[in-house]
Amino acid sequence: MKIGAALAAATCGLLGIVPSVSVAADAEPKWDIDSAFLYYGESDGRVKDLSLSAHATRDFGDERKLGIDLSVDSLTGASPSGAIASDDVQTFTSPSGRDTYSTPAGEIPLDDTFLDTRFALSGNWSQPFARLYTVNAGLGFSSEYDYQHIGANFGLTRDFNQRNTTLSAALAYAQDTIKPVGGLPLPLSQMGDAVSDDLSPGNRGAGNDSKNVLDVLLGFTQVLGRHTVLRVNLSYSDSSGYLTDPYKILSVVDPVTGDLIGRTPAPGASGPTGVYLFESRPDSRRKEGIYAEMRHDFAGSVLQVGYRYSTDDWEVDSHTLESRLRLPLGGSNYLEPHARYYQQTAASFYRYSLANASPLPEFATADARLSDMSAVTVGLKYGHVTAGGNEWSARLEFYRQTAKAPNEVLIGNQLGNTQMPDFNAVILQFGYHFKL
Amino acid sequence: MSAAARNVELSRGDGLWIGRFRAMGGPCEVLAEITDEPAARNVVDIVAACAWRIEDKFSRYRSDNIVARINATAGAPVEVDEETAKLLDFAALVHRLSDGMFDITSGVLRKAWTFDGGRRIPARAEIDALLPLVGWSKVLWARPVITLRPGMQIDFGGIGKEYAVDQATRLAGQATGGAVLVNFGGDLAVTRARDGDRPWRVGIEGVDAGAQHAAKLVDLAAGALATSGDTYRFVQASGQRLSHILDPRDGCPVRDAPRSVTVAAPTCTNAGMLTTLAMLRGPGAEAFLQTEEVRHWVQRQEKIR
Repeated sequence: MKIGAALAAATCGLLGIVPSVSVAADAEPKWDIDSAFLYYGESDGRVKDLSLSAHATRDFGDERKLGIDLSVDSLTGASPSGAIASDDVQTFTSPSGRDTYSTPAGEIPLDDTFLDTRFALSGNWSQPFARLYTVNAGLGFSSEYDYQHIGANFGLTRDFNQRNTTLSAALAYAQDTIKPVGGLPLPLSQMGDAVSDDLSPGNRGAGNDSKNVLDVLLGFTQVLGRHTVLRVNLSYSDSSGYLTDPYKILSVVDPVTGDLIGRTPAPGASGPTGVYLFESRPDSRRKEGIYAEMRHDFAGSVLQVGYRYSTDDWEVDSHTLESRLRLPLGGSNYLEPHARYYQQTAASFYRYSLANASPLPEFATADARLSDMSAVTVGLKYGHVTAGGNEWSARLEFYRQTAKAPNEVLIGNQLGNTQMPDFNAVILQFGYHFKL
Repeated sequence: MSAAARNVELSRGDGLWIGRFRAMGGPCEVLAEITDEPAARNVVDIVAACAWRIEDKFSRYRSDNIVARINATAGAPVEVDEETAKLLDFAALVHRLSDGMFDITSGVLRKAWTFDGGRRIPARAEIDALLPLVGWSKVLWARPVITLRPGMQIDFGGIGKEYAVDQATRLAGQATGGAVLVNFGGDLAVTRARDGDRPWRVGIEGVDAGAQHAAKLVDLAAGALATSGDTYRFVQASGQRLSHILDPRDGCPVRDAPRSVTVAAPTCTNAGMLTTLAMLRGPGAEAFLQTEEVRHWVQRQEKIR
């Protein structure tokens, strides 16, 4: 039975007012939008990324939600090609196979033809299912000059124990297509001379290839008392297909001195002045990981500490320790210091260089991202919540990466040299969170 | 409450004068769209005085007010003033409309239940011993005289704050033509829309541990919002979270009550009654609010960002 009219009449009697139906609370904001502008800049003129992103959520009531993510990245700058520094000027054929570029003596060769714009869009829907379940499903797409990604994901969560415990399972599948400039280099083939537009560059195969990635995630969240939440995730990832970086190369060196083997371009041609081989990686990779995170509210200050361990069949094992502390500054301002430490072991097929006249390994890469490596990030975020409930924030972070080739892959003179100098990056982000 | 704590802080921000004070056990706020500081201070003072007057008169924590007098009589009749009589009439009507679920005599059950986030669950015998003291139907109410059975108590805790919001909002509307929002610990009402016909944007607190954003924003151009929730008041028992909403019929917390219910209605008292009655329906809270066809927001889940 409806009691509203009787209740409203009684309320008016109590308050001594004339009954009215004057309530206007319908215009609830429908969209919740997190937008951000990010600048990421590496030291020594390496990669720069300018990124604009927005995450929009629309609430349809009854826990039914649509999420949309949109981002545009503009990447410029240079990244290490994998070749080692030399006492002489080094010349390389550019990825297109049409041009050459040179690296001064004593410097780490960077491939400076790196310039790209990435566009990404994804959507996700979630809603309750039966009484204690929530389902979500999404699609994602991203595109850049030489790379396309499409992916789909599905997840299910269930609440237990008066909703103090949540278990979740998620599955994601992605198919990526790689279409490198100048075609796909044949694995461990030699970089040839630059050729004119009417010829195809040497040692190149099909124009594109693809890889498939399956991710499985199991999550457990437990509310531990009034102020503490624990989260544990187990993850499994299986990638297969073309996992090589088509732009990465390895230097071929003297097996005794470790110095670059010289090469002379064909008469009338321009091309590499050293012997460089395109890298080769296995066509599958399986990763397993565990992540644990604790959040605790100390009377308004929220501390979050997380640890991740990951291992894979490329023998890259990593540890990540990360922490954030949200400190209310009174009023509607807050500060959030952030620190992160990351460490990994080198992939089993990581090589600093390849020894001349030795049998070639099946797989080899000189990509520093697959070497022994550690990285530290420290940062600070400042946020302000406006009277209207919107929030803007500014975040500044410093990143320092230290990579070191394992001694057993170094040859001769390489042992005494600094092979991979540390590099730094700065991250500056402005965010605005608002409702429409 | 000591007299020293009864002060009003006035500050200016976003084109509004904001008055802050404490009353009824929580923070209270007045937002006034007024340019002139003395006029704003006058409105805030009127609202604060109204809140403190109602707190003094109807708080169950005082020993010198009408509620204490009624509760101390142990079976003797008490004649009450007109305002108290109106509140008792209202309580009697809501008791009837809710089939006995809303009951201003259920406060004695707090002797058994302490909702401080702790783990103590009272024994059934302890609750059963109190149940004979609960029940509006055992009260003799013949306006303006009320007679309680010995040991029974009444408590306006379920009405008082929302009633105070409505009274204070009415006085604020009489004192100024500027738009005013009166917010007593999350229960709020507005005198009118802001200048330029803009609504007041109001945040409803989330139920997450360490929530940073308001869980929901509501644009309120007229009327009131009331919220009932158990973010801070609950008992944790063998992994279960028991809401602070007690069913007077069996003396136990309502099972599967939402974590928080917010309702929009023309008055805060009206909205507050609907949130309380919805909470009392436990799993049926949403169905009740849908039947009543009122604007409502229900939060059940611990959302972890």
